[in-house]
Amino acid sequence: MRTTFDACRLPSFSSESPTAPPTLVWETIDVSESVAIRYPVWADGAAGRLLEALRGAGARLAEVPVRDLVKWVGRVADRFLDSGDPIRHKAVDLMVPTAGLSKEMATEILIGMARDWTAERLTELLRREFQDPAVLDGFCRLDEGRSVRARGPLLTFHVGAGTVPGVSVTSMIRALLVKSAVLLKPGLGDVVLPVLFAEALAEEAPELSDAISVTYWPGGSSALEDLALQTADAVVAYGGNEAIGSLRTRTPVTTRFIAYHHRLSVGLVGREALTSEVAPHVARTAARAVSMFDQRGCVSPHVIYVEEGGAVDPGEWAALLASAMADLEAELPGGTLTAADASAVHQMRGSAELREASSGSRVRVFRANQSFWTVILEDEMGFTPSCLNRVVSLFPTPDLCRVADALKEVGGYLQTVAVEGAGDRLPMLAEALCRAGATRVTSFENAPWPPPWWHHDGASVFAGLLRWIDLEETG
Amino acid sequence: MSDAFASLAHALGTAFQENSGEPWPDDVFDRWARRVFAHQFETNAVYAAYVRKRGVTPSTVAHWSEIPWVPASAFKAVPLVSGDSSQVQRVFRTSGTTGAGRRGEHHVLDLDLYKHSLIPNMRRHLYGEGEAPSRPILALTPAPSRVPESSLSFMLGTALDVLSGGEGGFFVTEDGVIDTVGLSEALLEATAHGTPILLAGTAFAFVHWLEWLQERNAGFDLPPGSVIMETGGFKGRSRVLERPEFYASLSESHGVPVEGIVNEYGMTELLSQFYDGTVYDGRGAATPEVTLEARRHVPPPWVRTRVLDPTTLSALPDGEPGLLCHYDLANAGSVMAVLTEDLGVAFDDGFRVLGRAQGAEPRGCSLAMDDLLSGVPS
Repeated sequence: MRTTFDACRLPSFSSESPTAPPTLVWETIDVSESVAIRYPVWADGAAGRLLEALRGAGARLAEVPVRDLVKWVGRVADRFLDSGDPIRHKAVDLMVPTAGLSKEMATEILIGMARDWTAERLTELLRREFQDPAVLDGFCRLDEGRSVRARGPLLTFHVGAGTVPGVSVTSMIRALLVKSAVLLKPGLGDVVLPVLFAEALAEEAPELSDAISVTYWPGGSSALEDLALQTADAVVAYGGNEAIGSLRTRTPVTTRFIAYHHRLSVGLVGREALTSEVAPHVARTAARAVSMFDQRGCVSPHVIYVEEGGAVDPGEWAALLASAMADLEAELPGGTLTAADASAVHQMRGSAELREASSGSRVRVFRANQSFWTVILEDEMGFTPSCLNRVVSLFPTPDLCRVADALKEVGGYLQTVAVEGAGDRLPMLAEALCRAGATRVTSFENAPWPPPWWHHDGASVFAGLLRWIDLEETG
Repeated sequence: MSDAFASLAHALGTAFQENSGEPWPDDVFDRWARRVFAHQFETNAVYAAYVRKRGVTPSTVAHWSEIPWVPASAFKAVPLVSGDSSQVQRVFRTSGTTGAGRRGEHHVLDLDLYKHSLIPNMRRHLYGEGEAPSRPILALTPAPSRVPESSLSFMLGTALDVLSGGEGGFFVTEDGVIDTVGLSEALLEATAHGTPILLAGTAFAFVHWLEWLQERNAGFDLPPGSVIMETGGFKGRSRVLERPEFYASLSESHGVPVEGIVNEYGMTELLSQFYDGTVYDGRGAATPEVTLEARRHVPPPWVRTRVLDPTTLSALPDGEPGLLCHYDLANAGSVMAVLTEDLGVAFDDGFRVLGRAQGAEPRGCSLAMDDLLSGVPS
């Protein structure tokens, strides 16, 4: 018997709204043996009324002080973080089948995400992004002869990727903080948290209940998609290159378009971290960085470059990493893979094992028998993208500073570089990595969890959403 | 060829040729398979080391299903030769249509063994048992002399020589351009003489050929008994046409009933092929009309196909979809057991290919391998 989850949370269509709730036809997709997803099929009329209602709510949202928005969102975050709150259990129980994660991993991800939705973190985010966050509420005189104010879009249309649960909620919160109404089409793997978040926010702040709409449909297939692209003031799109490209071509040139396309991340381990004392610890943090989100995040390392010449050589460190991957499999078990994802792991592993079996080869393969984690120690410098789901390649390198050259070929995709043991070479290395295209240099420990104010793919958090208005003093 | 391989290849080739289309009982296949495995373990050091790491040797294998497979992508990673690699007669390469990465290589020690597998199988499914050389083959592929690395062109070239009595031709240049005028003339000539033909090519080439015909509002009414063989339709990212529309269009444009259109499922990594033959089944008799859905790919007697659970890789019962893993004795000179990335379902009379294993919808954020290989933005 399957539980049905409605991948949809619509505005309340309150009495202030002139539009009546649309009548909807529903479709169902079985996402696992235990859960089915139900979503409305949008006809032109209903889609138009939904967008009209959202724009109306956006206009009212503009009058709400930003500190209230922070407070209300923070209350929802606190509920997700409260292990006694039923919403927490509901979220985890539904994330497991819809996102293909283990229960332990779903919990870890929910906590990691919700931590950044708390009032404290959002306040800190606003403080870092704005000289005075009150510019979101009205003109502020920040310097001589000029007042400024920042306004967000009336309505933003978000298209989520579904790879990592929670990412879509973060995207919605950013729009809400700049007082934009939100329509979100989540990816299939991330339908649960946005719906629960929107429901909880409506409970905490009835004022916001008509400003957020979450509704799933298979990408490219809905009348609402085209109309939303035409109607929204800004489009925020996460996804594969093909999906982003399609959305971009259908968005009017006058509409702001913020895209997060495919990215990949890597790790570097230098000699200074390859001492017998430090190396096992670095292996544990690296294993966690690779395994978090089952490696499906843009921050997840695909490969790790390991410097030769340390007390612990790359082969020994590969064994340490493998042992840490095995430990982590017990602590945060891997999730359920699609046939395609599982097939990709078998192909990549098997090929590596044949290279390992070749005479004179220094390739080594460490892997689980009952799960998917795999560590492949390569024998030549290079780059091999991972098939994901905890498969990482290690490349020995004589000098960490040479790694940037190997990464140039993937520069357009490069995002996070986790660096350990570079010592005083770090500033020079960071310069080389930034030339290679990286937008974030960090540790393995922090790699999975960038702070809310990170320059995601190199851009400021709110820059793409905001319109600044200067009020210059006149005589 | 080493003596050991030569005698094995000769014995296999003879067994293939002597087979009348009757399936081999499991014990017959098992004896052959274990003999081939023992040879591969003995002569292919890379495969032997790979197999040993799994705790397997010929003496531990009690049944052919225990023989370790290699993934199809291994043909991109290392040369897989079971015998003297200096005696390799030909290296076939995959077309690389699914990504710009390394191409798979099949090092073939004995082209005769390949012929001994492909000819009886093609004859049964596309030509008809016992008939004299018949059906000129008109191929929508480049000629084998132009693309010696293409196993498909080799196969069709062999068919032209052996099964079509040397009649027919190749109508695609090595750059992939269809000789539309030449093909039109050949089809018209066959029609004028009332000669049934075999029109064979990749689904990709057929789609372009159909477009060319449709732009000119042109078509043919080929003589009764003509057969169309299309292949490769299951590979690649997206198929321009769904199969029913594709077949309807092929049928209408050539005057060949849908029952006369056969899919060949094959890959460079395997020297045997599978046909969802409706023209002639594995016994050489005409098959009654069946729906496309109900068609099955039928292995020749010297191939066994298992369907494996994508996660655990244990064998699945008939009717449950999983990854196709083939055990092909014609691969005696490389590796016999190959795990593909194709999803399929087994039935008692063959299997049905469901397509390349791929996710329900594209995944964003982190990068999948194919996306990277298909082009890096500057």
